[in-house]
Amino acid sequence: MSHTELDPRLAPPFPQAALPVLRNPQLRKNVAHATDVIQGKRAMLVAEKSDWQELRSAAAAIRAHALENLGTYLTQFEERCTAAGGTVHWAADAAEARRIILDILRAEGASEVIKIKTMTSAEIQLNPALEANGIHAYETDLAELILQLGKDEPSHIVAPALHVNRSQVREIFARSMGRSDLTDDPQALTAAARSYLRQKFLSVPTAISGANFLIAETGSVAVVESEGNGRMCLTLPRTMITLAGIEKVLPRFTDLEVMLQVLARSATGERMNPYTSLWTGVTPGDGPQRFHIVLLDNGRSDILAKKVERQTLRCIRCAACQNTCPVYRQTGGHAYGSVYGGPIGAILTPQLMRMEHAQSLPFASSLCGACYEVCPVKINIPEVLIELRTQVVDREREQPVRVFDAMYVGMRAASGIFAAARRFRSAQRLGRIALLPFTGKDGWIRSLPGLGARWTATRDLRGMPGQSFREWWAERKDNQQQ
Amino acid sequence: MRASLFITCYNDTLYPETGRAVVKLLERLGVTLDFHPEQTCCGQMHANTGFRAEAYSQAKRFVRLYRDTEIVIIPSSSCVAMIRDQYPVLFEELGNEDLRRDLQALLPRIFELSEFLIDKLGVEDVGAYFPHRVTYHASCHGLRGLHVGDRPFRLLGKVRGLELAPLENLDRCCGFGGTFSIKNAEVSSAMLASKLRDVLTTRAEYCTALDNSCLMHLGGALHRQFAGMRTIHLAQILASTETEPAEEFL
Amino acid sequence: MTPADSRSLILDRISHATQRPGGNTYEHLPRAYTHKGALEPGDCVHLLIERLREYDAVVDTCTVAELPACIAKILQANSKHILVVPPGLDPAWLAAGYDWKIDQDLSHAAIEACDGVVTTAFAAIADSGTIVLHHSAAEGRRALSLLPDWHLCILRASQVVETLPEYFARCTQPPRLATYISGPSATADIEMTRIKGVHGPRFLHVLLVRD
Repeated sequence: MSHTELDPRLAPPFPQAALPVLRNPQLRKNVAHATDVIQGKRAMLVAEKSDWQELRSAAAAIRAHALENLGTYLTQFEERCTAAGGTVHWAADAAEARRIILDILRAEGASEVIKIKTMTSAEIQLNPALEANGIHAYETDLAELILQLGKDEPSHIVAPALHVNRSQVREIFARSMGRSDLTDDPQALTAAARSYLRQKFLSVPTAISGANFLIAETGSVAVVESEGNGRMCLTLPRTMITLAGIEKVLPRFTDLEVMLQVLARSATGERMNPYTSLWTGVTPGDGPQRFHIVLLDNGRSDILAKKVERQTLRCIRCAACQNTCPVYRQTGGHAYGSVYGGPIGAILTPQLMRMEHAQSLPFASSLCGACYEVCPVKINIPEVLIELRTQVVDREREQPVRVFDAMYVGMRAASGIFAAARRFRSAQRLGRIALLPFTGKDGWIRSLPGLGARWTATRDLRGMPGQSFREWWAERKDNQQQ
Repeated sequence: MRASLFITCYNDTLYPETGRAVVKLLERLGVTLDFHPEQTCCGQMHANTGFRAEAYSQAKRFVRLYRDTEIVIIPSSSCVAMIRDQYPVLFEELGNEDLRRDLQALLPRIFELSEFLIDKLGVEDVGAYFPHRVTYHASCHGLRGLHVGDRPFRLLGKVRGLELAPLENLDRCCGFGGTFSIKNAEVSSAMLASKLRDVLTTRAEYCTALDNSCLMHLGGALHRQFAGMRTIHLAQILASTETEPAEEFL
Repeated sequence: MTPADSRSLILDRISHATQRPGGNTYEHLPRAYTHKGALEPGDCVHLLIERLREYDAVVDTCTVAELPACIAKILQANSKHILVVPPGLDPAWLAAGYDWKIDQDLSHAAIEACDGVVTTAFAAIADSGTIVLHHSAAEGRRALSLLPDWHLCILRASQVVETLPEYFARCTQPPRLATYISGPSATADIEMTRIKGVHGPRFLHVLLVRD
């Protein structure tokens, strides 16, 4: 696995980025296995929940309501968190968030930090920025540790290392921990990670986390996890820094009764994840006595302003859409060129890039709708994909290059043809003649030039029949009238 | 009963035998069919590829052509889903109140073929005979867009001689996705290969579906691989009888 | 740009983005999901025990009168001798013959060195097999139930609710701190194989007191 930073600004277009993965059977096997397992567990636990659809409706409505009133809830969160001893920072973009975190760490005199898995920190490319300033970040989530030691990047929101199998983990750990004695038994590998990190938890005085939810009513932050590395980071250090997107806020504490139920089932196929932690500012005698939270915009308020796209921000990062997506199953996450892969990434990443980059991602979907069906907050991902495709095409319309793009020219021509049945009939006749030289004796086409070659690379195409349906209908009508 | 057939652009051009089967089947069941000669395309390809302005004009055309029609039958679930799910949004955005009203009145009168048979005609046994082992591929738009549920299975279950072979991972996309199969040809092909493994495991003679688009994709690969299995639209199975077996391409 | 400017910039953008009226008020959000469970109290406790055992937690039950003796029995059976306890734990439960470290600002190293920890809990949720800690004086600060490898949690049957919403209904005030524990620390990060015991306590022992 080569190490390439996941940066949507530099990533190749999706069809191209997918190629190396499609030629890597081991990786595809790892991804298919992992997504199959999670999907199976999710399906079982959703089936046992007779009020699942009601929970989804409530979750979607709570998230939508929080977004409609985001300003109110964020300022309320700020006020309550501050009153409880926390310090609230606002970051308009990634660079500002990095600067704020670096300033806090410098003031703490930190040379090391321990980190809980946070996709938002990968979004703002935090680790490289810390390293460049002489601060080493220790990833403490097992999957993130595997990736950090293996110089790899996350490929899944919930299980970021699901593309790596046990023998690869063994190699990485043996090399970087100097543990040639390790077997590829997951139990042994997990134990190795435990002892590798134990001293760090007990000695590093500063930690960085993400947030699953912010509670406006109380100014509290909630983090869900499985391993206990989160609890270690949230409890033992002197100083805690949380990085959270501004969309993470929930109106009230009680809303967790909905969100926790849908999140655990959707994300890991559990009734509840092993550990959920909730804290409010600082509590004398318990846990970090300095608490900073960085509220990150980084394009989110732009998404909020758009009617169809706003629902993207309801996302609670459960990755159910990734697990069910037939495209993601084939390509894994890296092909999306962003820490957010799969269907949610296909809509979120280009929007976070303000549609300046990652324009191929909205097209990286067959619009099969499986993502929408499993989404616990009912994000109509296909609808947003189509909206973003429209924006990409509308930009193309203004570019002179459009006259050289076969797909663009073809779509425009087809539109003219569909505008009148007379033209459509002529096009059918012309098409029949044009395809004739490519059509074999058995009536099938095995090879086409141009765009058609992309079809015939793996599939044949039935040649055009001698008579269209409308021709047959007209003929039949004539015969009946005679 | 009188109904109008919207055959769809690709069935018209590439799969006329499906249209003929719909005519034969419905006339056998006592339905008088009309065919509006001005029909072309519902606009799905344009809408789904991001050409919204073009999709608008096709959507407008469709509603104007059919607004006074009693019943419209469409043998393609993805085109029905386009009309039901995307037209209202298009018209709202266009701000065309008249068209929106016409569409709202028209929508309850638009049926995908299996919906029409079960919900409108109230038949499951259409008197078909098709003595073959068949597997059913659930197209994504039929499954998750229209929620056709078990309707196709109820129809297939009453076809005499037919042996239904269940398909694993029924809810998984075949990878067609319209222009997706061209824009992301390699990924689409990988999805197709995975679907094909499940389809071939059934050892069926035929793979059927509500949509010829999926079947074009699956059938193209089956033909390329000399797999022996063939694809056939549900309408053709339902139209088939002892005296008049299903009409097939070559 | 100073942070103060970013604050108003972001809030301005948000206010501009959300000026279109509409949407439900908080009171009108749909909440048609199950709030109250349907089980009798006894069955509810049974469900909790079943769920906890699914998570590989060990569960014992006793009466209020038997409690101190039962704690001692469990400690003996599990060979736990040095135990850390929160300052608010009932002193009557601390059986003689064990080394009880009462948490008065103990260092992390001192807590880590103990064989185990004994705490109470705020509530338990049967449906998901969840132990809820609000970190009161008898539940202990967060580090206490985290660092030792073995956690004995004393739970009264009357604290058991069936559903998650029932727990929230019992919270008259939102807690300042809370930890929800649903089974021991675990990971599935390597090939989705569930491995018990990563960083949190590897062994959870629950003593249910019939009250």
